[in-house]
Amino acid sequence: MEKVVIIRYAEIHLKGKNRGYFERVFANNLEKSLKGIRHELHRTSGRWLVEKFEEGRAEEVAERISSVFGVHSYSIGYLLGSSMDEIYAGAKLVSPKEGTFKVETHRGYKQYPLSSMEISAEIGGRLLDEFHGLKVDIHSPEHTVFIDVRENGKALVFGSFEEGAGGMPVGTSGKGLLLISGGIDSPVAGYMMAKRGMQVELLHFHSYPYTSDGAKEKVVSLAKILSKYTLVTRLTTVKVTKIQEEIHAKCAAELNVTLLRRFMFRIAEKFALKYGMQCLITGESLGQVASQTIEGMTSSNAVVSLPVLRPLVGFDKDEIIARSRKIGAYETSILPFEDCCTVFLPEHPAIRPKLSFIEEEEKKLDVETLVEEALRSAEKTEF
Amino acid sequence: MIYLDNAATTRPNRAAVLRAQTFTEENFFNPSALYGGAFAVFSELGRARESILTRIADPQKFELIFTSGGTESDNLAIFSSARRGNAVTTTGEHAAVERAFNELKNRGVEPRFAPVRPDGTVDEEALLSLVDEKTTLVSVIHVSNETGGINDIAGLARRVKEKIPRCIFMSDGVQAFGKIPVRLTSDIDLYAVSAHKIGGLKGTGALIKRKGLALSPLIFGGGQEKGLRSGTENVLGALTFSYAAESKFATLPEDGERLKGYRELLFSELDHTLFTRLSPGNGSPYILTLSAKGVRGEVLSRMLWDGGVVVGTGSACSSKHPYSRVLKACGYGEEVLGGVLRVSFSPETTEEELHAAAKAFNQAVKQFKEKL
Repeated sequence: MEKVVIIRYAEIHLKGKNRGYFERVFANNLEKSLKGIRHELHRTSGRWLVEKFEEGRAEEVAERISSVFGVHSYSIGYLLGSSMDEIYAGAKLVSPKEGTFKVETHRGYKQYPLSSMEISAEIGGRLLDEFHGLKVDIHSPEHTVFIDVRENGKALVFGSFEEGAGGMPVGTSGKGLLLISGGIDSPVAGYMMAKRGMQVELLHFHSYPYTSDGAKEKVVSLAKILSKYTLVTRLTTVKVTKIQEEIHAKCAAELNVTLLRRFMFRIAEKFALKYGMQCLITGESLGQVASQTIEGMTSSNAVVSLPVLRPLVGFDKDEIIARSRKIGAYETSILPFEDCCTVFLPEHPAIRPKLSFIEEEEKKLDVETLVEEALRSAEKTEF
Repeated sequence: MIYLDNAATTRPNRAAVLRAQTFTEENFFNPSALYGGAFAVFSELGRARESILTRIADPQKFELIFTSGGTESDNLAIFSSARRGNAVTTTGEHAAVERAFNELKNRGVEPRFAPVRPDGTVDEEALLSLVDEKTTLVSVIHVSNETGGINDIAGLARRVKEKIPRCIFMSDGVQAFGKIPVRLTSDIDLYAVSAHKIGGLKGTGALIKRKGLALSPLIFGGGQEKGLRSGTENVLGALTFSYAAESKFATLPEDGERLKGYRELLFSELDHTLFTRLSPGNGSPYILTLSAKGVRGEVLSRMLWDGGVVVGTGSACSSKHPYSRVLKACGYGEEVLGGVLRVSFSPETTEEELHAAAKAFNQAVKQFKEKL
């Protein structure tokens, strides 16, 4: 009898002739997430099994699997021989000792001498004989013992289904560049795109000495948390200090943020195109702050031709916070290192900046040189 | 690197660290154990205790408890002393006292805060007017860590006791110990000190208490430090503290005179159209607090760091807590508060360094103003 983790996948079965490709990427991602734990990964009819790991690490394996996109559900269970005695030995381990229960059998091996119903009845009967606190309830049991009899003379026994991260395997839906700040929103935006299968690369803007080393460190911490889902373990930082100073010195104060965002988009697009990323991703949510109005978004979009994906655009802050907590980023996001110094924050930022005014103000700056200069400051951090 | 943030911490005194290290490598025994070697550690610790204590107090009348630092000493003193009624302090205290006083509210004691003057020292009459027969504790910082302003704690303690004899008087002496002449009078019950501000190690401090005063411990365990601070003694830290104090006190008056000259020299070389001075002339020679109007202290300190000059700041680029609580209480406006730099010296500071630092300060502020 061996402890295993059973993985069922989400939408891959929809993928028709491309299924093989999706499955390969998925398997590869599972392997990546299990890095550092000795194991074997095997595919069997419609599911994967993680086998041959140290039994004591089963929870850890399951925990890692739980954040891999494409996993619909998973269970910790036992792989054993398919004789009734062996199945019962496993069932005893996953069964409750009291309360209501039922046994549910799936029989992939149709030549097995007993039918599904007969197996369930037999195992259920033996459990009732052994544990007197148990009672059968077919309709709404507190516990279910699952038995899966398979073709190779093996059976799987497990006690529950845990919900997986869902979504599509990362890497099957192209490559995008997330503009990540130290805040709550952008990591959630990255998570959501990765959930739909996108490979999410990270770009962070800092303005040292107006922002601290702590702010940069915080972004690296967030990137590490995100990497659990995105499987991407690198981050590029770009210094926009000079751009902020120039904007502050030469342009209308109420446009500070609007203009900076246009620069960020330009830099991000150049970076994305250079490394084969197909879109930009931001954590913007409509109306959340002055720069995230439709006018603000229009003004940023106007300087790039790549699509800009804003998966949080229709979310309330509360919803974003709930997701941030769920992915484990919230506590880090609210650490007190700010990513913009208050010197650059105008008292009354423009809420509905007119594109013509923005463009007029921007003419005061040597946009191209500033963008190039910033790109040269790009630094890659691997973690 | 020109290090001028000595009020935050000092570089450990190398000779003191080595001497303590040599001793503890050889005599690594638990001072509470019952064999000969352990006793050697116990007695060296006792010598260290006595040595630190006698620098500022009469060992017949006072005793010393080693702690993990100034914050723990302040907390131990406050939560032992303020058990009911009200407790009075100033708005110029270090966070270790200020936050502890605010916590008193949850424990049924009313905290009262006396206002400070622009130099960071307490308005004495206001303080005394807050003291009444229900006051169980008065706490006044000795040297303000933000301005260097010096409170006359001996005088204040006497006046407090004259008014309410059984009231306990304590002082946070972290920025005073080893820097300005201190002699604890019998009116002072508790005095908190820290090692790493005078060349000792971080994580070491002490609470000096009047003999006979009962305290209630924050930490329970093996009964070390007369049961007031359990936990195996930080022998390395305590010994380093005493050796560093030995060396610091040996030249305390000369250092003070010299640094006072340096402080004035530095200020005289600053561009006075850019800098205002917040520190008083009669304050600690070790601290010069400045403000460059219209500049962000946090940004300036990073610009200076990049240029090899290290100073503290009293302001952050944060939108939530941008300004120093204490300096705000001193009555300064936002313009001044935003550009606060705290320059703090040590006996290692040289005249050349100050010339260079003054130049760097002037230049950095000009640079900041040109850009923004």
